[in-house]
Amino acid sequence: MTAPLEAVEPAASQAAGPAEDHRPARHGILRYALSKAGGALFSIAMVIIGTFFLFRLLPGDPVRALAQGRNMTPEQLDMERRRLGLDEPLINQFLNFLGDTLRFDLGMSYEYKRPVLDLIGDRIGATLLLAGVGLAVAVSLGIWQGMRAGWRHGSRFDRFSTGTSLVLWSVPTFWLGLLLLLVFGAYLKIFPSRGIQSVDAPDGFGYVLDVAHHMVLPVITLVGVVYAQYLLVMRSSLLDEVGQDYITTARAKGLRDDDVRRRHAVPNALLPTVTLVFMRVGFVVGGAVTVETIFSWPGLGQLFYEAVRVPDFTLMQGTFMLITVAVIIMNTLADVIYHILDPRVRSA
Amino acid sequence: MRKWLARLAVLGVALLVAGQGQAALAQDPAAGKKIVRVGATQAVDSMNPFLAVRLVSTSIHRWMYGFLTVPDSKTLKPSPDLAESWTTSEDGLTWTFKIRQTKWSDGQPVTAEDAAWTFNKIMTDDAAKTANGPAVENFESVTANGQDLVIKLKAPQASMLENPIPIMPKHVWEKVTDLGQFSGDQYPAVVSGPYIAVEHKKDQYVKLKANPNYWRGAPKIDELQVIFYDNPAASIVGLKNGEIDLIGRLNPPEFEALKGDPNIVQWNQQGRRANYLQINHGATTTDDKPVGDGHPALKDQKVRQALHYAIDKDKLVAEVQNGLAKPAHGSIVPPMYTDFFWEASGDTKVTYDPAKANQILDEAGYKKGADGVRTMPDGDRKLEFRFSIHTDTPIEDKLAEYLTGFFKEIGITLTTKKLDSSKFTEETGVTGLFDIAISGWSVNPDPEEVLATHLCSRRPTPSGEGGGTESFYCDETFEKLYQEQLKELDRPKRAELIKQMQERLYTDAPVIAIYYTNDLEGYRKDRIKSVTSVPEQDGILYGASSFWPFYSLEAVEPAAAEAEGGSNTGLIAGVVGAVVVIGLGAFFLTRRRKSAADDRE
Repeated sequence: MTAPLEAVEPAASQAAGPAEDHRPARHGILRYALSKAGGALFSIAMVIIGTFFLFRLLPGDPVRALAQGRNMTPEQLDMERRRLGLDEPLINQFLNFLGDTLRFDLGMSYEYKRPVLDLIGDRIGATLLLAGVGLAVAVSLGIWQGMRAGWRHGSRFDRFSTGTSLVLWSVPTFWLGLLLLLVFGAYLKIFPSRGIQSVDAPDGFGYVLDVAHHMVLPVITLVGVVYAQYLLVMRSSLLDEVGQDYITTARAKGLRDDDVRRRHAVPNALLPTVTLVFMRVGFVVGGAVTVETIFSWPGLGQLFYEAVRVPDFTLMQGTFMLITVAVIIMNTLADVIYHILDPRVRSA
Repeated sequence: MRKWLARLAVLGVALLVAGQGQAALAQDPAAGKKIVRVGATQAVDSMNPFLAVRLVSTSIHRWMYGFLTVPDSKTLKPSPDLAESWTTSEDGLTWTFKIRQTKWSDGQPVTAEDAAWTFNKIMTDDAAKTANGPAVENFESVTANGQDLVIKLKAPQASMLENPIPIMPKHVWEKVTDLGQFSGDQYPAVVSGPYIAVEHKKDQYVKLKANPNYWRGAPKIDELQVIFYDNPAASIVGLKNGEIDLIGRLNPPEFEALKGDPNIVQWNQQGRRANYLQINHGATTTDDKPVGDGHPALKDQKVRQALHYAIDKDKLVAEVQNGLAKPAHGSIVPPMYTDFFWEASGDTKVTYDPAKANQILDEAGYKKGADGVRTMPDGDRKLEFRFSIHTDTPIEDKLAEYLTGFFKEIGITLTTKKLDSSKFTEETGVTGLFDIAISGWSVNPDPEEVLATHLCSRRPTPSGEGGGTESFYCDETFEKLYQEQLKELDRPKRAELIKQMQERLYTDAPVIAIYYTNDLEGYRKDRIKSVTSVPEQDGILYGASSFWPFYSLEAVEPAAAEAEGGSNTGLIAGVVGAVVVIGLGAFFLTRRRKSAADDRE
């Protein structure tokens, strides 16, 4: 994640003199953050340019796709093409696209005939809710189990939790979601089969409960498939710490086992997991295309899926850019935060 | 450890509460109302009828707005809707419709002005053409005088009474400045049909209330909800657990998943879809220049006919469609349209007969080589055809397997080529890069639309613009018959012409119809007391070009149904939540003791 070239700079300033250690370090973080931000901006620019050409490379003509199964005369197809600006030379289309994007105008969706930004605005809340809760649950479950499994390496709990999480990790999301849907939706009939709310959802607190009720299955699916990575990273980094001298020292001091783990081992072992979490936060915006599709969750992932099916170029472009930009920003933040959290990175 | 216990307890309580929330829901204000919930595996693309093209949207608009005429629920013949009566001039160019004296749902009178404004808007505003542009292409002018609507045509058009355009209230819609960007989300909508849309949560649901002043009389239910599913399997779950009461357009595996549920009626009736093979018989553009890379043997009508004899349609129906279709012994108009359906008989009828297919090919000089594969009479190119199908369609995969087997029997090799849908449309409709392709069409009560897809003018232009051809067909006989049926205002005579067109397609075989898939739907009989299909008895519920099925819906008295369904669900959820919490709590308590013991050692 950390480009070695950029990391050299703070180190160089440190070399100026050990007496000035503190100030240049803080200064270093700022410079480091700035250079990271610069890099991120460059990546974003590349993404914007790449997006345009990437989606033009896809096979199929959007106008033909729109006309599929419908009676349309060649004149009408021509008109559609003019309306969508597809009759202009590629370079003009590209310049228009650049200009619009810089003005935060992501264009009109071919299929919905509404501005892409509006469509994204409609959906982003649902996605943040589902993916955010999913991430929080997966992270806490993974860290907690990983912590216990790593501490009692080889115990029954370790074998059981590692085994379960790995099995779930290898299961296709689609399959797990459908299975849950069949068991809890069709047979036990305790959870709804679709959506974020009931059609006749009550207001106020009742609405919150209704949404919570609808969220249970999607969140379980989302968590089930991904929590293994937090568990495993946490477990293995804790295992690294267990053999260290300071742990032996802590034990020798007569500290309770719980305290050795909580105060000494875990804080040191947490670092890689924190990085992983930040990397993942970026993907929260992208939602979970599969989970949203299985449970008809009206979020961004579902929107992207719809756009690909049509294909709806502007909508695909818009959602794709949003998701990539979010990932880039979050990765940059992760780099910077890691830098602050771990002094070893600073002096590297 | 204790913290975790606390957190678990919180989670459990949340689960419990969520369950109770569901229980509370069952007693919400909606209770006591007769509500029918329809599932749809498509979301509404737009609530603006000038833009909406998806079936779910046009269906909803059929329940909201009146049309000039609608298909009769028994005979499917055009019958009065907002137009009470109509007359045609001698030359068939001037149509005068008498608009019914009735009111919009906001109390304003419905006049011919509304209809004239709607048609003129589409004729003059490019953005308004999106959904129904072709339907006014032949209109010269539309004028209104009181309740009289006069439409002057450029050329005679027998399908005038099948106009698919909903009549919109002028006083509401003329205020819209840019129709192309208007989503139509203004509620309650102003309508003249049986239901008033009152709420639309995008990609989630549309809620419609009965129109108490509907001129045919108010619907027998209070509310109709259309609920969207992204995932067809989830919609089956939804029907089973009572979240929806009806779902249409199922495929055979989905339909079979409904088997055995005592509360669900499996609706299996003749459908409106014709499934056919499209044969590249020498694709050309509108200037008659060849295009694409079709196999030369397929230009020979005899080869196409031999292919037809080699297909065991009964077997395809039984094994590919699980018996949920009818073998096609006609062409592209399915038998549900009794007036227009043509069925082959006597000498023209092609039945499964591989011996005859082999004989035809032998006589035409396509000799079998040492490997059993035939070659062209004048060269050594083998009869090896590609079969283009869509990716991710298990049914088409299965069809390809069977066809490969059938054609092997007559010395023809078939290889399958899978394409994503936009590439598929391009290769089989524009660039002609195929030999044989799967295709199909959902036919309207008036078959003019599907017939038009086989006209010369529908072929792609020399510059490569697709015109929507379904076959690259360009045949003098067919063109002549099409022009004649356009002018023929006498329905039986016109039906005769349309049958001749189908016969031509059947014998010349640019397309080979294989089966007509059934209309597969399911509904809960503990919620829906009765529903009438179109046509009555053996027709379609969801997706018919008619408001009738959803207007005729009768719901089971709500009190009984609600009390059982909803609150039980909540109770069960609550109990399960509680069990989970107690179980986990007990588990962790024991764990805790153990680890405390470890600590003490």
